[in-house]
Amino acid sequence: MTEVAESPPARWLYASSTIIVAGCLIALIAFGVRATAGLFTAPISEAHGWGREVFGFAMAMQNLIWGLAGPFAGMVADRYGAMRVIIVGAFIYAAGTALMAFADTPGMLFLSGGVLMGIGIALTSFSIIMAAFGRLVAPQNRSWSFGIATAASSMGQFVFAPLGQLFITAYGWQNALLLLAASSLLMVVLAVPLGASKGGVARGATELDLSIGQALQRGFGHGSYLLLISGFFVCGFQIAFMTVHLPAYLMERGISAGLAAWAIGIVGLFNVVGSYLAGVYGGHASRRQGLVFIYLARSAIIAAFILFPVTALSTVLFTASMGLLWLSTIPLTMGLVTLMFGTRYMATLYGFVFFSHQVGSFFGVWLGGYLYDRYGTYDPVWWISIALGVFAAIVHWPIRERLASSFAAP
Amino acid sequence: MQGPDHRLALGLFLSLLAAAVIASMIAVRASALPDSATGKMLAVFDPRLDEQAMFAALVRAGGRPLRRTWLASVWVVAGDAPGFAGSLKQAGAIGAYGELPVSPQLAGCFAYADARSRELFALRP
Repeated sequence: MTEVAESPPARWLYASSTIIVAGCLIALIAFGVRATAGLFTAPISEAHGWGREVFGFAMAMQNLIWGLAGPFAGMVADRYGAMRVIIVGAFIYAAGTALMAFADTPGMLFLSGGVLMGIGIALTSFSIIMAAFGRLVAPQNRSWSFGIATAASSMGQFVFAPLGQLFITAYGWQNALLLLAASSLLMVVLAVPLGASKGGVARGATELDLSIGQALQRGFGHGSYLLLISGFFVCGFQIAFMTVHLPAYLMERGISAGLAAWAIGIVGLFNVVGSYLAGVYGGHASRRQGLVFIYLARSAIIAAFILFPVTALSTVLFTASMGLLWLSTIPLTMGLVTLMFGTRYMATLYGFVFFSHQVGSFFGVWLGGYLYDRYGTYDPVWWISIALGVFAAIVHWPIRERLASSFAAP
Repeated sequence: MQGPDHRLALGLFLSLLAAAVIASMIAVRASALPDSATGKMLAVFDPRLDEQAMFAALVRAGGRPLRRTWLASVWVVAGDAPGFAGSLKQAGAIGAYGELPVSPQLAGCFAYADARSRELFALRP
């Protein structure tokens, strides 16, 4: 398949390395600032005398709106280019974060931390950045660029979460929110190099010239796309369940808080490595087979972890290996979307895949709590995770790893 | 670029790490309690000191050591005398803090803010 990247003006601002660094920093900030939200649960709730459910609902709303807005953000980015979308998103993101500091009613918190931040994240998320990379980076480096963007997102949480806590301790929670809002505005400047991609007309030489409606209709009529969507649900389920419930599980199994904290930190560190390696791998090997391996490996590792006694060593091994597999699905999944449908509508089509991920996240968190309350143990959800991992491997296996015929020029 | 530029990736990773460390150092410095602070607080020592030396320093400062945290060089201590935080520093502590965000985070998830896990691992007096 002959593929071409858009040819940006030959200036340092639009050089590949500048574009990649700027995109990675946007991913880092967008993901990192959001990761600090949980730190404000206690201070905001206590300051206003609200129960935790008020803040929790705002965050749940944020995630839902992020998922829902994702495909639409993708459509706008595909039409008008990533730079404009990210700039608008950065202002909305900053407004939402700053307004949280002054939200004195639950409704205001839902609007700022829920609606505005949710839309802001969707408009600045790495799916928009990866779509820009897909158009601007040479095809042989695309998968690698997806990997480095995912790794940068992971780094965001690692960098911003402790920093956010430090801001709260040092300057108070309201000033901390304002500082984070100011950090979000850096994305406005960082978006400029991504302006090399104008959107709208960018497509590979072998791709048909389709309208967005036609692209969606043909995408959803393509079996491999539907398999990819159903498989990505599993990724969201497993990751979200472990994110929220793993610490409690470890403590319940007698792991000390100190060791559990460090073990969980290992997930983050190995996640950066795993995401990057997955991107490199996807550049020269089968993405489909990579995803099959990841989902099967997740199931095998989870099964081994819960079947044997939980010890300090098994905790470290589990979190390290799970960290390697944590977000390594992203570059491969994005790579498959690009391969099947080309670059023109990749943000839109990936947006729908990602929505499935968010639905999976919701069920992972909710079922984790619900089944624990019902049975007094996390075992049922662990076994559901294992079964879903096998399911995801099965549905990824028949995916056809080539340009969809309905998208190919005759 | 002809192929993946791993040097660019490594450089970016190291730069981000350095920036995060510098920003953290600035914020940690700003979050230290003033010398006049009293009550329950975290006392941070040089990790090379042994347990007995840290304990002795806490007592010397007029504090009541309440517990050692999971970080061996960080103690929860209480003291009611005016200028207790300053006394801790004079006795050999690096600093006195109301809260230290040292808990590693569960990086890279799209789901929910893990407020619960942070509460579990937060280092508070």
